[in-house]
Amino acid sequence: MLVLALAVASVAGADESQKWLERMNQALTTLNYDGVFSHWQGGKVETLHIIHRVQDGAVTERLVSLDGSGREFIRTGSELACYLPDQRTVLVERQPPATLLLGSLPNFEAATSEFYEIKAAKSTRLLGRRAQLIVVNPKDQYRYGYRLWIEESTGMPLRTELCDGHGRVIEQVVFASIAWPTHIPDSAFKPDLSADSFRWLREESGPLAAGGTPMLWTALKLPPGFRMSVRAAQKMPGARYPVAHLVFTDGLASVSVFVESHTHVSHALSGSTQVGSSSAFTTVVDGHPVTAVGEVPPETVQLIANSMKAESRASAPARSPFDSAIPPLDPTPLQLDLAHGPVSALH
Amino acid sequence: MTNEELESQLSAMFDDELPEPECELLARRLARDEALKARWGRYATIGAVLRMERGVRTHSGLVRAVSVAVAAEPSVLATARARELVRPAVRRWWQPVAGAAVAAGVAFASIVWMRSEAPGAPGAPEVAQVQPAPAAAVARSTAPDSYVVPTVDPTATGSTPPFIPPAELADYVVAHSEFSAPLLRHSALSSLVTADPGTGNAASAPTGGDNDQQK
Repeated sequence: MLVLALAVASVAGADESQKWLERMNQALTTLNYDGVFSHWQGGKVETLHIIHRVQDGAVTERLVSLDGSGREFIRTGSELACYLPDQRTVLVERQPPATLLLGSLPNFEAATSEFYEIKAAKSTRLLGRRAQLIVVNPKDQYRYGYRLWIEESTGMPLRTELCDGHGRVIEQVVFASIAWPTHIPDSAFKPDLSADSFRWLREESGPLAAGGTPMLWTALKLPPGFRMSVRAAQKMPGARYPVAHLVFTDGLASVSVFVESHTHVSHALSGSTQVGSSSAFTTVVDGHPVTAVGEVPPETVQLIANSMKAESRASAPARSPFDSAIPPLDPTPLQLDLAHGPVSALH
Repeated sequence: MTNEELESQLSAMFDDELPEPECELLARRLARDEALKARWGRYATIGAVLRMERGVRTHSGLVRAVSVAVAAEPSVLATARARELVRPAVRRWWQPVAGAAVAAGVAFASIVWMRSEAPGAPGAPEVAQVQPAPAAAVARSTAPDSYVVPTVDPTATGSTPPFIPPAELADYVVAHSEFSAPLLRHSALSSLVTADPGTGNAASAPTGGDNDQQK
């Protein structure tokens, strides 16, 4: 009886913890906040100031480096600008007007809890506020874990850590101060510097080859719990040919695989690398350069990249535009409303 | 053209089955028509979405990737199918992806603000080194206004061998960031505004947080 009670309690505990994480996602995407945080990664620590406002469905934000470079990025309406005073350059990109407010949220399905242990640990005080520590432990070596200190009244993560399977911290963000102003004026989102004499560079948008890539790629083998969630073709800047972009996820972690359409022997680089907290692995499959990238341990991207396999569209059976490798669903229930983001299990 | 015919043309174009003259006409129309652009974007998204299980994640980046096609010169869109694309002279960076709070910023700025630790002069030829390359030179794109590619950090811990990723890898990392969990995107803010070496403070690894056994 006690065992059963404990089991029930732990399941309830996991659900409760997941609710904390959902609250955190909501906070990050919907609240006004203004704070200073330090970020530790790769042996270096930086201090940054972030201001984030959601008003009438539009997100405005500004991030400023406080470490002397003077760099900042500002997102207002449909435009994103990166100010680089050290290079006397501003990079600007214009985004579509119907900017999605709701981005990707982790899928806390039953499958996720099969590969992660999510539990609430102690409640503590940070910045004079009560915060709940939520621990996400990976159950195998293919994924990373998280430790999140979530402020109880707002759901804002006051401190976050990305950890490997041994508990070693890979990356850490800690707020030194934070406020949630009801109103943030537009003036708060003006850059600190005058960029009139700077060089302004607008985004380069290359056209996408219609119809995507000639080959359909898939992974013959995936780490437990990973499944394909996206298959798209993208035009990479400066690239001549479209690149297949597949995303594999276990619900929490995700890995992108990029496969170049045309075989070429040029750089043919291969090997592992770390870019920030992302692991990357590049190899060649049937002459096509394949690169896997994700916030996962190096062996995960290596496994996935090495298992990629192609089948030619020509030899594949006739497919609908929606790639019927999976039996097509009746599309009507999806009711995709791109202005409001996806219908997800969280809503 | 009725909506139905338009849909069918869009679908055919998306599936690479529309003859080129019609493709060009449709592309021109797409360039003018916001609603049509959105619909085109939905084709790409719907396809991706149908392959997902529940808890669908719609990424504006998918819409974006397709919509940039029609934002460009219509003739280029048609041309792209049959001919090589002229490599733009302007430096490249990956456009950010909209989405949750900081997603766009991460995607966009991280490409620019990869750590720059370059002693090399700007304009040095790009060097892609296969590991190991302990004395590797700085890798920079030849375009003078390109973003800086990360270099080997001699003080970096970790078991991965020194490897200088080319700019393509930086592109991929940014394109991937759209799909990172919001937590990681939020954490990755620091990648955006990386201080130059010398201004960033070296710090020892933080301890693994409070002991979560305590209650």
